[in-house]
Amino acid sequence: MTLTLALQLAIAGISVGSIYALVALAIVMPFKSSGVLNFGQGEIVTLGAYIALILTQLALPYPVVIASVLLLGAAGGVVIERVLIRPIVKAPEFTLVIATFAIGLLIKGVISIRFGDSPNTIDGPFGTEPIMAAGLRFNPTSLWIFVCTALVTIGVILFLRSTRLGKAMRAVSVNPEAARLMGIRVETVYRWSWAISTAIGALAGLLVAPLIGINPEIGQLILRGLLAAVIGGFTSIPGALVGGLAVGLIETFSGVLIGSTFKNLVPFILLMVLLVFRPQGLFGAAEIKRV
Amino acid sequence: MTDRLTVERLSVRFGGLVAVRDVSLRVAPGEIRGLIGPNGAGKTTLINAITGTVPIAGGRVLLDGLSVSGLPAHAISRRGIGRTFQHVEPFAELSVLDNVLVGVGRHSHVPLAHAAFATPLAHRREDQAAREALAVLERFDLLAYRHTVAAELPFAVLKRMDLARALAARPALLLMDEPTSGMSESEADRAIAAACALAESEKITLLVIEHNMRVMMALAHSVTVMQNGGVIAEGKPSEIQRNRTVIDAYLGDEAIDAVG
Amino acid sequence: MQSRYGTIVALLAALLLAAAASTMGSYPIYLLSLAMINVIAAIGLNLLTGNSGQISLCHSSFIAIGAYGSTLLTARYGVPFWAAIPFGALLAALMGALLGAPASRLRGIYLALATLGFLQIVQIAIEEFANVTGGVRGLTVPKAAVGGVRMSEYARFLIVLGCCMLAIWTARNLLASRVGRELNAVRLSPHAAQALGVSVHRVKLAAFALSAAYAGVAGGLQAIVVGFIDPVEFGVSAALRQITFIVVGGMGSVSGSVIGAAVLSAMPEALRPVKEYSDVIYTLMLLGFLIFVPHGLVTVWYVIARRMRRHVPTAPAEARR
Repeated sequence: MTLTLALQLAIAGISVGSIYALVALAIVMPFKSSGVLNFGQGEIVTLGAYIALILTQLALPYPVVIASVLLLGAAGGVVIERVLIRPIVKAPEFTLVIATFAIGLLIKGVISIRFGDSPNTIDGPFGTEPIMAAGLRFNPTSLWIFVCTALVTIGVILFLRSTRLGKAMRAVSVNPEAARLMGIRVETVYRWSWAISTAIGALAGLLVAPLIGINPEIGQLILRGLLAAVIGGFTSIPGALVGGLAVGLIETFSGVLIGSTFKNLVPFILLMVLLVFRPQGLFGAAEIKRV
Repeated sequence: MTDRLTVERLSVRFGGLVAVRDVSLRVAPGEIRGLIGPNGAGKTTLINAITGTVPIAGGRVLLDGLSVSGLPAHAISRRGIGRTFQHVEPFAELSVLDNVLVGVGRHSHVPLAHAAFATPLAHRREDQAAREALAVLERFDLLAYRHTVAAELPFAVLKRMDLARALAARPALLLMDEPTSGMSESEADRAIAAACALAESEKITLLVIEHNMRVMMALAHSVTVMQNGGVIAEGKPSEIQRNRTVIDAYLGDEAIDAVG
Repeated sequence: MQSRYGTIVALLAALLLAAAASTMGSYPIYLLSLAMINVIAAIGLNLLTGNSGQISLCHSSFIAIGAYGSTLLTARYGVPFWAAIPFGALLAALMGALLGAPASRLRGIYLALATLGFLQIVQIAIEEFANVTGGVRGLTVPKAAVGGVRMSEYARFLIVLGCCMLAIWTARNLLASRVGRELNAVRLSPHAAQALGVSVHRVKLAAFALSAAYAGVAGGLQAIVVGFIDPVEFGVSAALRQITFIVVGGMGSVSGSVIGAAVLSAMPEALRPVKEYSDVIYTLMLLGFLIFVPHGLVTVWYVIARRMRRHVPTAPAEARR
């Protein structure tokens, strides 16, 4: 393997890894604050892609499309939280896992009915002409994805650290009862964490659409996103980024080094190994328990 | 004669907090040992450490001279150490009879295949187990509740069930965590009497955490007193009652005087 | 252990069903067979999730292992179906134990993730080893035959009926015995279970193997009834459908498995006019039950049955829930 090839693969890995990082981020946020793992997050990504499709077909300019996807994604999160999650937030874990799964399948079902299974596509905002730099080829869409991911991650970290709502979110994730006693409106925090997470998920759908096309199966991304969250540790935001990039790199390199038959198995074998030996991942707290 | 229970310099740590500090004690076979001390003294943690529910940071535990520390909790139970729980920990959706049957199950085994196909062997063993369980229920006045689901029972009845369940497993050593809490005076007397009778006839050694001093002083052959994770006194109940250190450990003389 | 009365009623019902089916056409028999296969699979999943309390998103994978296992034994080595299906179930049970060994130490979302990972691994293996499994195009199943004579559709139905009765009978026996008590005990209070000498890990592992065995039988039967194995049947949607059976029917009891699987197996037929909506309707039903009827359809009847079996009134007490 030449250096150039390795670097080229690394670039590919990082760009696909950025999507996984966004999905992981969208998973980790509501889990951190409300303890609910949204197994339907993959379909939020699908939803984002289809929203982008509709808006692009309406010939709206890209910045409008981004803003709308974010807003509509957030709105979707608020609706889901209010209508479907709130009634069962105190239910046993089984109910929450299955319910979020079911919500995802519901969204996918509705999308399938409305749009059918035929694939669609939209163009990336910067065209497809590769950018050459330092002898390496960069796909502009991939670059854009990476930039967005980095911005979102930094944005979330700053939000959690500096804003009042962000700090409230951190307080609730540590101890909801104590936070409530301190005057924090826990329900509002939950609603916002869901809104932000679905907005990020929808954004991921918009960003990834030019790369892999638009079809109801996009939701499969969640599997990589979940692996990324496990690697990073389910309660760490920077961990989600690192985890996502790691999964992207592992996937890209194993495709070349191992051969296609086993390449698809690698992420899941890695997942099983991690779950058994180090479920808290790289950055997670060792005792991950929902009180 | 080897001690039934030997605890050697046992320590338990939770993060930075030392819950049990260098505790040693020995209980002879057939003895009834009381374990008392103010709240937070580490009594339940000590029991948890002996039963393998919490990890041991230092020291060891021996049953009849054989080390059990470090074994998984169910293995320790199978060696012959049983326990009751402060908060019962019932199998809430199961009936009282089924709860006790789980206890009987420790020495009565029906292989899976036999159970699945309801073979005569399975029938025989299940019937025998049921007879045993019913006998234990009778000793503890629980026959009337045998088909009642545990979740529907008052706390005092559940405590009796916990006791019956633990004793049904025929332990050599039974660790009891506040067995009479939640019971009225007469209920407590009856339950303790039944437990002692069973302990004597089956030669079970008892280590009992109790806050009810009246029960403790009448019941125990000797008493160990803990405070802040360590043992501060040990001796016959009457001696302990007069021990200055013990009296200071509880808030003032009232605690001891009140139960004379 | 089991009420004589109940056994006689069940046998009569089975005989009635067998008699009625002999007058039915091909398609109703086919549907009934599939419904009973769903019952067998649901019974297995209920033992794992309803009784031992372990969430599993990969139950359909064990159905797959049973299906492919028995079919390959017949297709490649000429093993007759009545031996191939038990072997397929055994293979599924072994894989269940293999997964259960690490998975039974996990709880909550980590367990869910592990089972999801296993599901994906099995899916990928089916697709990648296409020369063995037929890959995404599926695998044709040799017609079930005894001594070279092809079984009729009705004969196949009777076999499925027999297996379904056997599954119900063994599961009820298990739940009434120390096996059932231990399965429930490790879910209800692992601490108390350990203190009474029950190895939580070993019981949970056994639950995985046991549930996989039932699934394996269901898979083998499904293969000979349908005549074709389509890997799409074993993905996430299928896994969720399995879970829907036990949520709607009621978790923790064989009756719940039977009711849930029977009721929901009737649905695809009822839903034929609105086929594209069936996925959506299934998930709405699942969500509805999770939120509003979490204990399933069987609750009503079960409460009554329990009250009838109790010989004395409950002690006066507030509910402890």
